[in-house]
Amino acid sequence: SGAAWARGLLSWARPERWLPSGSLFPLSCLHTSTSLQRIGKWEKKNRIVYPPQLPGEPRRPAEIYHCRREIKYSKDKMWYLAKLIKGMSIDQALAQLEFSDKKGAKVIKEVLLEAQEMAVRKHNVEFKSNLHIAESQTGRGRYVKRLRCHGKGMFGMMKISRCHYFVKLVEGPPPPPEPPRTGFEQAKEYVQQLRNRTLVHTL
Amino acid sequence: LLVLVPSPLPRLRALLQRCWGRLERGLWPGVFGGQSPPWGPALAVQGPALVPQGISDTGTPSLLESVVWMAAPKQRRTIEVNRCRRRNPSKLIEIKRNIDVCPECGNLKQKHVLCGYCYAKVKEETRLIRMEIYKKEGGPFNAPAVETVVLYEGEKPTEKDEGKRIIERAKKRPSWFVQN
Repeated sequence: SGAAWARGLLSWARPERWLPSGSLFPLSCLHTSTSLQRIGKWEKKNRIVYPPQLPGEPRRPAEIYHCRREIKYSKDKMWYLAKLIKGMSIDQALAQLEFSDKKGAKVIKEVLLEAQEMAVRKHNVEFKSNLHIAESQTGRGRYVKRLRCHGKGMFGMMKISRCHYFVKLVEGPPPPPEPPRTGFEQAKEYVQQLRNRTLVHTL
Repeated sequence: LLVLVPSPLPRLRALLQRCWGRLERGLWPGVFGGQSPPWGPALAVQGPALVPQGISDTGTPSLLESVVWMAAPKQRRTIEVNRCRRRNPSKLIEIKRNIDVCPECGNLKQKHVLCGYCYAKVKEETRLIRMEIYKKEGGPFNAPAVETVVLYEGEKPTEKDEGKRIIERAKKRPSWFVQN
């Protein structure tokens, strides 16, 4: 079956095999995308389809990927909000963002509500509150350099920064927070590392 | 102080510079123990012309000494150091623990702040009442010197409302606007 799979994989590269001679090449299967319509990797993550689960396996929780591109905000400032909501349930995250004074909080709240609605409509999530935020990241958008005029005819170049925001919602209650690493644990790990060392070129 | 200028062959010059450097740093003590150093013929120039001492006469201080020294970073801060500073727990946003549910409308509200939805509701109704007042007064500076009472559909003024200005609103009384 491995050989057949490999053959099947390679056979797509030969169009004359799967098109009868003399017919028009169907243009619908060509993926032409310009830079404006480039679909990002995060959007494509929603398209993966897992094989059906076997009867004995535990239920795989639903994962919803959503993002917003080119938000007019700094990625470093947005990171603080993304760090705030990491690991929270969606209700708690929405509550925190509603009363946050930052500009990015409003944007992230919209993104979360959109993702929640997507989850209920398309991704077969039963309860919209049964979601938690598994990952929330920020990325750098396209920067633009502009002139900033100072007094006495001096000027500087400023960069207008934009950012992207990515979020992954997973069905289920949020995982319990990890207990902070104590000094005792770190010391135990260190001692264990020393004990794991092997001596070479000795008796 | 004699300063030797080495002979013009570039490789020999590089070698001599390295040897001289080693001698100066004391890494080659054996040379001066016995014979004279293996230099070729070279120019010797008097010292003071090439190595000027500091100007001993005072006069006006030069520009370099009168400038006030400003603090400037000595080394570029690495990204690890920057991250430690930016991600320090004191700089992270704290989670707010004073968020409750409004008993009237069910939206979220902060404990010490009015519910945003209820406030917006009241604000809208007040705006409509103000529009009625404006229609009745007809212009600025026409406010009467008596109290105002707002009456909704199907309400009659009571004895307590004698002498007060009455504003009619063509709407059912909202449940939150309690009538005296």
